[in-house]
Amino acid sequence: MTTAITVEGLVKDYGSFRALDGIDLAVERGEVFGFIGPNGAGKSTTIRILLDLLRPTAGDVRVLGEDPATGGPALRARLGYLPGELILSGTATGRQLLTHHAAVRGGRGRDRIAPLAERFLLDLDRPVRALSKGNKQKIGVVQALMHRPDLALLDEPTSGLDPLLQQEFLALVREERDAGTTVFLSSHVLSEIEGVADRVALIRDGRIVVVDDVAALRAAAGQRLDVTFSGDVPLQALEGVEELQVDGLHARGIWRGDTTRLIATLHGLPIARLELRDRDLEELVLDAYRTEGTA
Amino acid sequence: MTRIRAVTVEIAWQLGRRRRSLMLWAIGLTAVAAIYVPLYPSIGGEQMQALVDSLPAEMTAALGYDRLGSAAGYLTATVFGLLGPALMLVFGIGLGARTVAGEEEAGELELAAAAPVRRDDLLAGRVIALHTQIAALAVVTFAASALLSASVGLDVSVGGIAAASLGLNLLVIAFATITLAAGAVSGRRGVALAVGAATAVAAFVADAVAGMLDDGAVIEALSPFSWYLASDPVVNGVPLTAYARLGVVTLIAWAVAHDRFRRRDLGV
Repeated sequence: MTTAITVEGLVKDYGSFRALDGIDLAVERGEVFGFIGPNGAGKSTTIRILLDLLRPTAGDVRVLGEDPATGGPALRARLGYLPGELILSGTATGRQLLTHHAAVRGGRGRDRIAPLAERFLLDLDRPVRALSKGNKQKIGVVQALMHRPDLALLDEPTSGLDPLLQQEFLALVREERDAGTTVFLSSHVLSEIEGVADRVALIRDGRIVVVDDVAALRAAAGQRLDVTFSGDVPLQALEGVEELQVDGLHARGIWRGDTTRLIATLHGLPIARLELRDRDLEELVLDAYRTEGTA
Repeated sequence: MTRIRAVTVEIAWQLGRRRRSLMLWAIGLTAVAAIYVPLYPSIGGEQMQALVDSLPAEMTAALGYDRLGSAAGYLTATVFGLLGPALMLVFGIGLGARTVAGEEEAGELELAAAAPVRRDDLLAGRVIALHTQIAALAVVTFAASALLSASVGLDVSVGGIAAASLGLNLLVIAFATITLAAGAVSGRRGVALAVGAATAVAAFVADAVAGMLDDGAVIEALSPFSWYLASDPVVNGVPLTAYARLGVVTLIAWAVAHDRFRRRDLGV
């Protein structure tokens, strides 16, 4: 079976601005793939090329084995899309809008409108322009997944959803994956999608800086350690802590090893305060840059 | 899904969502006819002619008021020569700009273009929906003018009103399609509006200037507004060649729109 997405050397220029600078991606069938990067990194540009809304400047793109530029309606019938900036206006109600999108797909997905709306507590009888951002986003999510596409391309799907609905959305994504849909979703916040993504790619300034599975990425990233002792700082206990900074009774650094071992080492020491937390995305991306620079 | 079905679904969607706005424009055009037509019996004829004679000849020619002495001329100068086209052009050019470029700039075209529909079919559906709405307004203008003319006893033929309404329809469709094409090529609503409005105003002014000149035939041959009205369709019926030219302009603009829209990046 062909891959869901294969991208090689993808370049996209807008005039003299290079939005994508040689992207390589391989997304397997049946996985949930996260595409992480800050705003303006090139996430939406990549997704819009996969949908043939934009034409690449250079590089090879295959979506479900086909070139989006020649795949046409037959290829897009197998895709679902949630735009990063979903704009819905007009007097049509949610039901009318979703029914129309089903009609465009020859009626596929119409039977799932009502159950999905119920699940997301979506009022289908209000005009879409009167809906809140979160409710518009729900319409977009239903629209993108209702026809059970082979590949769903979701650009910032969790934005505008409150935490409870984010969880509901992620549960839906897992179900769709289990039902056979490959899901490619972007976010500028790794934590929003790490619970659902099998693998992620980090993109920055139009270049992929790392591709890995989430657990490995987390392990490689390590945790930020912040500890205040009530006696002298026992330096030997902090062996293995990277980028260690000691300031009086306070020590901080990055811990990449086994958490159990760190706690065992610290056990019995006079500690006033301890904080150990996952490092945030920006730090991961910077790390990846550094690694790439020295490689 | 067949291509015809894809185009039909798009047409139905576009017409459905503009229903209310179209209704309001129909009421506006009916009001124009309702204001002007019943006035003629009370102020028209010799009295009107005397007023026109007292104005500078260039001015009356430019406004088409030199025709006000007859009922047909009155209808041509008011409903078909001024307010009818003005209102319908505002409608047609506005909708032409919004239909592709406006929605593209707003980000609304995104889902439609990512759907399993060819860009050609998406565009064709929207162009046909635009033409249909303009035609509906032309029919309303025809019906209102014909009914009101008959009810107040104006000496004009229904066939003449139908001919002028057909011309109005073709004129507005031509400029609306030019506008839509400018938007489909550029992706910019402002560009579309500017091109549509500038060409329409130029055509109107050229026609008015031609009327003031002793020999304005050359200008009339170039102005779509002259193609529409210079031959006095209310009196003389459909000028086949002139109306065919309006149709050709529409088809050229339509083809240009497709040629660029199917190939370019959307929403950039």
